[in-house]
This record gives sequence, C-alpha cells and structure tokens, in this order.
Amino acid sequence: MSGIAIANLNKVYKSRTGKVPALIDINLDIGDGEFVSVIGPSGCGKSTLLYILGGFIAADGGSVLVDGKQVNGPGTDRGIVFQEYALFPWLTVEQNIHYGLEMLGTPRRERDEIVRNLIHTVNLEGFEHRFPRELSGGMKQRVAIARTLAYNPHILLLDEPFGALDSQTRESMQDELLRLWLKERKTVVLVTHDVDEAVYLSERVVVMSKRPGRVVEEFKIAVDREGGREATVLSEAFTRLRNEVWLSVRRQVGGASNRDEMAGR
Amino acid sequence: MMALADFARMEGAQPRWLRAVGRFLPVVIALGLWEAVVDFGLVNREFLPSFSETFAALWHMAQSGEVWLNLFVSLYRALIGLMIGSFFGLGIGFLMATSERADRFFGPLVATTYSLPKASLVPLFILWFGIGDVTDIVIVVLACLLPVIVSTYHGVKAVPPILIWSARAMGTPERALLWRVLFPASLGSILTGVRIALSFCFVLTISAEMIAAKTGIGKLIFIYGENGAYAFMFGGLMAVVIVAYAADRGLVAAMHHILRWDDSIHSVTAYD
Repeated sequence: MSGIAIANLNKVYKSRTGKVPALIDINLDIGDGEFVSVIGPSGCGKSTLLYILGGFIAADGGSVLVDGKQVNGPGTDRGIVFQEYALFPWLTVEQNIHYGLEMLGTPRRERDEIVRNLIHTVNLEGFEHRFPRELSGGMKQRVAIARTLAYNPHILLLDEPFGALDSQTRESMQDELLRLWLKERKTVVLVTHDVDEAVYLSERVVVMSKRPGRVVEEFKIAVDREGGREATVLSEAFTRLRNEVWLSVRRQVGGASNRDEMAGR
Repeated sequence: MMALADFARMEGAQPRWLRAVGRFLPVVIALGLWEAVVDFGLVNREFLPSFSETFAALWHMAQSGEVWLNLFVSLYRALIGLMIGSFFGLGIGFLMATSERADRFFGPLVATTYSLPKASLVPLFILWFGIGDVTDIVIVVLACLLPVIVSTYHGVKAVPPILIWSARAMGTPERALLWRVLFPASLGSILTGVRIALSFCFVLTISAEMIAAKTGIGKLIFIYGENGAYAFMFGGLMAVVIVAYAADRGLVAAMHHILRWDDSIHSVTAYD
C-alpha cells in the first residue's frame, strides 16, 4: 500500500511536572500524491505529528506506515523543510543543495546538472556561492526547498515553511509550491496555522484540537487551481471553504485556556 | 574641512593606516609614559629600565642572534605543546559531548584540574622528565588541553538539533554526522578555545623554561633578571610580547577566513 497510514497514534512528552499528552489517538490516511494540510492552534502537536512522520521522534503508541513500512527513523523517501530553514551555514547555496545527492552517492556530473536546474527553478541564479547568512529569509527558504527536492523524496513534509516570511514572499512561495505539486504530484503534508494557505494549497485540510492534539474535523477542498491565484481566491468555493475551516479552527482556539494565543500571532 | 572629516568618519572611509595608528595609539601612549617616568626620574632607573634602553637591549640581542635562537626554541615548545594539547582537547571534548559515559568519566577530572595552576607542576615534572623539552612541552600540553576540551564540549552541545535532524533526513550515516555536521557547526567555539590555548602556551612555555630549561626565551629572561641586567630582561619580555601578539593576530585572521560563513565571527577582532 502506498501513501501514509497513521493509526491510533499517541505521543506523550515527559516534563518535570509529569507526563504531558501531546497527541491522542490520531488516525489519518494520506494517499499517494495527495496534498494534505494539518492546521490547528499553536501547541496542538501538529509539528510533533510531522516530526513523527519524519522519524525524528518516536511515537508512544500506534503505528505510522509509509508505503506499507513502519517508520523507525529518518529516510530519504521523506524530505522535510523546517520553518527555521536549518540550512548548513558553513556550506554555500550550491553546496547545501548538493548535500543530499552527495549522501546518496549520485555521480558528480549528474549532481551538477540537478543542482543547476534546481537553482534555476527556485530563482537563485547568481547566488550559488553565497553563504546562508548572506541571504534573505525568502531566499533561505528557497534553498531549503531546493535542497530537499534535490534528492527527490516522494513525500514532502513541510513544517510551517513560510511562517517567517513577509506576505508577498509567502504568496509567491506558495504559488511556486503549488506549481511544483501540480507538475510532480508528490505527496505533501503541510503543517501550518494559516487558514488561507491551507485552503489555497491543499486537497484536504485536517483540523486539530488544542493540546492534546486530536483530529477533530476534515475538509475536502474541491477548488479549481488551474486558473491562478486570483481566480482561486476570489472563487465562491474557495471563500466558502475558507470560512468553514476558519470557523472550525476558531472553535478549537476558542476553547483554549489562553484565548489570546492565536490572536497574538 | 571639519565637515569633510566628519563625513569620512561616518562613512568609515578613514584610510587604513589612520585606523591602524588609532588602534595602536594607547600602546604608544603607554610606551611614552614609561619612557617619561624613567627619564624624569620619577622611578629609579635601577629598578625600571626605560623603554629606549629596553629597545636598545632587544636590538643588541637581535643583532647578536641570541634572541632568535632562544625564540625559536621557545616557539617550537609552545607550538608543539599547543598542537598536541588542542588535538587531544578536541578528541576528549567530542567524546564528552557525544557519550554520556565519557562525560561522566572526564567531567569531574576537567572540573577539578581546570583551575589548577599548571606551572605548579613544573617541579614534579622535572623529577619525572628532567630538565628540557619534555617537561616544558608536557606543561604546555596540559595548559592547552583544558580550554580546548571545554570549548569543544560546549560547541558540540550547542549544535542545534534541527541541523542534525536535517542531516539525518538527507541520508547522512550516523558515523558521518561527526565530520559533516558536528565538527563544522562547533568550529567557531573550538577555535575560540584554541585562541585561549594560544595565549596559555606562551605563558606556560616561558614559566616552565625559567625553572626547567637550559635554553629558551624564558631561560634568557630569567638569567638576565638574576644578573640584574634589567634592560635585557625587559628586552626578552618585549620579544615574547611581540611574538605572542603576532601569533594571536595570525590566528584571528585565519579564523575570519575559516569562519567567514559564521555571523558571530564578525564581532571577533584582533585586539579585544
């Protein structure tokens, strides 16, 4: 079976004051080539869920299958992009993108070509030999995406990848991501707290409750995306779905002990 | 004219030489004061030779070749000690940061020996290794070991977990993590430790040589001091200061190149 199958997943964090449940009984199936967003109040455990999918942290119960195999560590079948970019600051743009291919043992010539194409795709020509510290946030995030795409994982795990960007940059990055997904149809799991982003990009939006996180609602997003951003965002279907998701998230936040948690963001 | 000068300062457009002069101005003032207090008789010349006398003595020693030979010997001991100490410091620091068992073993040893004045071990080492290179170098190794251990340990501990995660996600084998991620990510901290060790290596070489050597600039300073040739004693000291300063500048320049990708290096200057 291909795709991601999450069944009865639980996660508990141990703190000084005791055990804090982070995720409770998560059940979620994500099809091959599907674009799913996970949205919820901050601290609901949505990033934790993504880190478990990535194999960075272990679950405390239940199972996570990727293409029918139990996840027990990171793998190059799943590429991750973090909000903080997590580029290697001692490597140049080009070297950062090369890294994954180098680890795979891809021959030099083939690597060069893949990297050159990617640098073109993410519009970073002329910055190949810069270090991350010399780049803006948007450029760093483009490098982070390019270096993940380089080794061609068929699942993309995106942890609020555009959260730190200004709104113009964020929109153009979203458009690039959408274009890429329409072309390559990778499986994408996007964690975000931005309702518009989730609805604009994904085929399905999963809403999680405040901590401890459970899946409370799912929305199929049937929106035509071929017409470009304006057509999509102004369409009646988009507006309706956006409002539904927004209300659903709002209900979760409304029940939160700290009402201002979401408003402050 | 004034406005132009202000403008130049604002733009940071002062010529290099002017900035260099500005940087050395306090040193020049201190040397001038030194010269003045002796020349005007505020301090007895018997107890403090003037700057010009000291410099003349150093010039004399440089021409006779005496200072070069001894400097060479001292530099050899200091740098060999620094290299051995840094090498093992790096290894132990990495071990402690990556293995809990190593941390439990070395941790208390490092904590208890950190503040021990290494020079106090010279008499013991004379007993073990005799007078000469071995004793001097072992002292320097011990002194350089600790700052490098500590800075390596903290550097590795401070590597953001997210960098390790992304390295793993991109298929880095566990044994390659050390070289591909932990080492470059902690390099800034490691080199800061090496810089501290560099200053220690000169201090300890000179101290050890005073008691446990037949040659070396420390021995030279000691002999001139014993014989009351204070201008020559100070001349030897001056040679050490010049060499140590040049070495530090060289290391900082190297750090600026090696760590040119690192935001924090740009606040590290050669004279702080």
